[in-house]
Amino acid sequence: MNGSAPHTQSGKTTATALEAMDIAGERSSVLELREVSCAYEPKRPAVEHITSTVHQGEILCLLGPSGCGKTTILRAIAGFERVTAGSIVLSGQLVSSPNVMVPTEERQIGMVFQEYALFPHLRVEKNIAFGLSHLSRTQQRAIVDDLLTLTGLRGLEQRYPHELSGGQQQRVALARALALRPVLLLLDEPFSNLDPDMASRMRQDLHALLRQTKTTAILVTHDHDEAFSMADRVAVLNRGRLEQFDTPEAIYHVPTTPFVADFVGQADFISGVVANDVVTTEIGDFPNTRHLATGTNVVVMIRPDDIHIVPTKGANAHILARQFKGSENVYTIQLPSGQVVHSSESSLSIYQTGTAIALRVVATHTVLFPQPLDATTTEQAGPAAASPP
Amino acid sequence: MLTATRSHAPSSLQWISLVTAAFLILPTCYIVYVALTAAPTVWSRLWSTRIPELLWNTLSLATGVAVTTLLLGVSLAWIIVRYEFPGRRIWEWALALPLAMPTYVLAYVYAHLLGLGGPVEHWWQTLMGPDARLLSPQGFVGVTLIMALDTFPFVYLLVRGALLNLNLSFEEVARVCGASQWAPLRRVTLPLIRPAVAAGLALVILYVISDFGAVSLLRYQTLTYAVYQQMTSRYDHTAASILSLLLVVMAIIFLVTERWFRQRSRFYQTSGRYRSATRRRAGPMGTAFLTSYVVVVFAAAFGIPAAMLIQWSIEAVSQGALDARFFGFIWNSSFLAALAACGAVIIGLPLAYLASCRPSRLNLACLQAAYAGYALPGPVAALAVLVLFTQFAPVLYGTVVVLLVAYIVHFLPVGLQSMEPALQQVTPNVEEVARTLGCTTRHTLRRVTLPLIRNGFIAAWVLMFLQTMKELPATLLLRPVGFDTLAIRVWLEASEEYYQLAAPAALLIVLLSLPALLLLVSKDWRGRAQEVVS
Repeated sequence: MNGSAPHTQSGKTTATALEAMDIAGERSSVLELREVSCAYEPKRPAVEHITSTVHQGEILCLLGPSGCGKTTILRAIAGFERVTAGSIVLSGQLVSSPNVMVPTEERQIGMVFQEYALFPHLRVEKNIAFGLSHLSRTQQRAIVDDLLTLTGLRGLEQRYPHELSGGQQQRVALARALALRPVLLLLDEPFSNLDPDMASRMRQDLHALLRQTKTTAILVTHDHDEAFSMADRVAVLNRGRLEQFDTPEAIYHVPTTPFVADFVGQADFISGVVANDVVTTEIGDFPNTRHLATGTNVVVMIRPDDIHIVPTKGANAHILARQFKGSENVYTIQLPSGQVVHSSESSLSIYQTGTAIALRVVATHTVLFPQPLDATTTEQAGPAAASPP
Repeated sequence: MLTATRSHAPSSLQWISLVTAAFLILPTCYIVYVALTAAPTVWSRLWSTRIPELLWNTLSLATGVAVTTLLLGVSLAWIIVRYEFPGRRIWEWALALPLAMPTYVLAYVYAHLLGLGGPVEHWWQTLMGPDARLLSPQGFVGVTLIMALDTFPFVYLLVRGALLNLNLSFEEVARVCGASQWAPLRRVTLPLIRPAVAAGLALVILYVISDFGAVSLLRYQTLTYAVYQQMTSRYDHTAASILSLLLVVMAIIFLVTERWFRQRSRFYQTSGRYRSATRRRAGPMGTAFLTSYVVVVFAAAFGIPAAMLIQWSIEAVSQGALDARFFGFIWNSSFLAALAACGAVIIGLPLAYLASCRPSRLNLACLQAAYAGYALPGPVAALAVLVLFTQFAPVLYGTVVVLLVAYIVHFLPVGLQSMEPALQQVTPNVEEVARTLGCTTRHTLRRVTLPLIRNGFIAAWVLMFLQTMKELPATLLLRPVGFDTLAIRVWLEASEEYYQLAAPAALLIVLLSLPALLLLVSKDWRGRAQEVVS
């Protein structure tokens, strides 16, 4: 792509022309979403006002619960869905806006579908070479050979898709998508059809492969572990809106909304009151990072790995339940007021249910949110991150 | 360079399908027009004389045949798919063989077997006394049985296909939910195969309504037969059109009902693993029972008639029936059938594709229009096509083109019935992924969609080839002068009760249909079909 103003048949409005100039000024961004909205029904948008950027070689994860609109965004980028507002710019060229729709085949994107969508009538080899029909047979052969090696599919090239395991099918889908050296690779829940052991191995392989081929990729997932282990940056979506767009570390440690805090890992929300320059709660005092006025009611988000328990006779809090997870024990603790918090302890620390315990809180990543708090909605909560000390 | 597109403008494919639908529905419209502009006296004359009797005969025959084929088709498909017994593999394809036997062939064999002074009556009278009558092939029961024996494979094949593709998990889930052994059958399996049953019965009933061969040889007065009589012996095209209108109305009511029903029970393949049911091994008693049931049906529908044909053919050949003329008939028949089947597949493709993959109101309406042709009985389709051609393209009058158009209008629905399910297997994702790999809509169609639907289309071609080979009334009325086909010879000679003379042509029709039929039920075909859906 040459980076000049996009050639569109309907780029007559001033807004489009302005956008085009803007776009030409950007470097190295492969994809830009500007205030993108999509709607299947006019009244109910599936996604609204999504703005984000993906740079060359970056891996972006769209993370959110099912129905949050992440697949819709992917399909809009691929050119399967129209946008009802905003614009999508790919390699410096406007590809989607309410009156522009560049067909999928001209977008130079690769896509791996959740069900892989391998062509059932073609052998592995032919599946991978599917998009290469404009090349000579020897060139096709060379590219397919490279990809077979790269994806570890050597020896399987003569099989039909139904003769492959789930992991092998996924790798064929990946090789097929990479064959055309797409400017952007889209992956729709690529690991959801694999068993968990397999999925974690495939994740590492995929990550290495994307880095090795310097592929820019967007991966859709509902699994935060997957997002954290794969992504350079994560976009958390909820109900069609972008909640937070940041590095995995920031998303985990400094969530900007209670939804994000809760979705990307176990979190407890403890109510507290601002007094002087600290927030006083049942489990201790925290810094008043938002500089709220004394007397304000707030909630403090705290993660289980910041709470440690010490069995103490006569203490007010006690253990409600223990969940053994192999590498750790997660304890559910009831505070005297009835509030419940969780604590992550080592795999070997085993205490009886009902044991009275004292809490030791290490406030490395606590975040304040103003009350009232509804963990599933986010309208009330603005950016309220407390930086780790 | 990039180009922008608008998805709202109708594509060229859409235009093609619109034009095709218009072309297919034109003959029907013409008949309706002639009937509605007829003088009221003609209407009242027909209402007070022929219509009540003809309606009753047609409807009762259709119902009788539908019930019989439902019982035969579903029970046989169930036995073949769910039980293992010696000879099952042979019976599996043998039960499709009656499709190669046209109704007029079966009718003429049974007219001899069950007729006055025939072998069955002779045997019955030695058993029960000289005045006993078993059943007349010309009566309601006789005609119903003969038609059902000929058409049950439609239901059998479609239900068998559905049962083979049915994921066992559905039944297992029902069992896990606490249903007893037979409840899953009633509450899960039967509802899931209902679309196949409905599609099969739709074929059967439309076939019965528009059948001419059997009812004309057995002299059973149905609407279709009456139309032919009005045209040939009374030259009354207006009365024929009025009778045809009744047929068309009946068929449309039925088609709409069937469509609506199928839309509601439209089911989807389960994602994830596909497992087919294991066959239950039958014990000695079970084997004896199942085998004798299958053998009786097969013998009645195919075995005995085929044996009779072979015996008569040997007699006829020894009298010198195989001459140059005979080989001309062979060429005429296969040439016409192959051309018609190819034409119908090409014409049916855009209709079925749009209706399955982009089921908008317009596309579904176009598909419905294509189904209207099957509702036209052979004589009516022939009349309508003939008049349209003499009106707009008189040059083609008396050529094979007129005949081909009539065949396509008449038999396209048979093909559409198997094209549509094949197209429904093409998931949007598979087409979308081709787009991401640089294919335009047209390339995607050629490289992904067409190969995926190939098997369904082979089935469609085979079914249409079979039907055209056997076609009688339209050929009778439209063939170029002196252009006789095998079917015409059979009918002409059977009408005169020259059983031996009719046999070689009839046997050959059956034999020519066999390779195509084998293809339809062969293991390879089934394996690939499963591969695509699993």
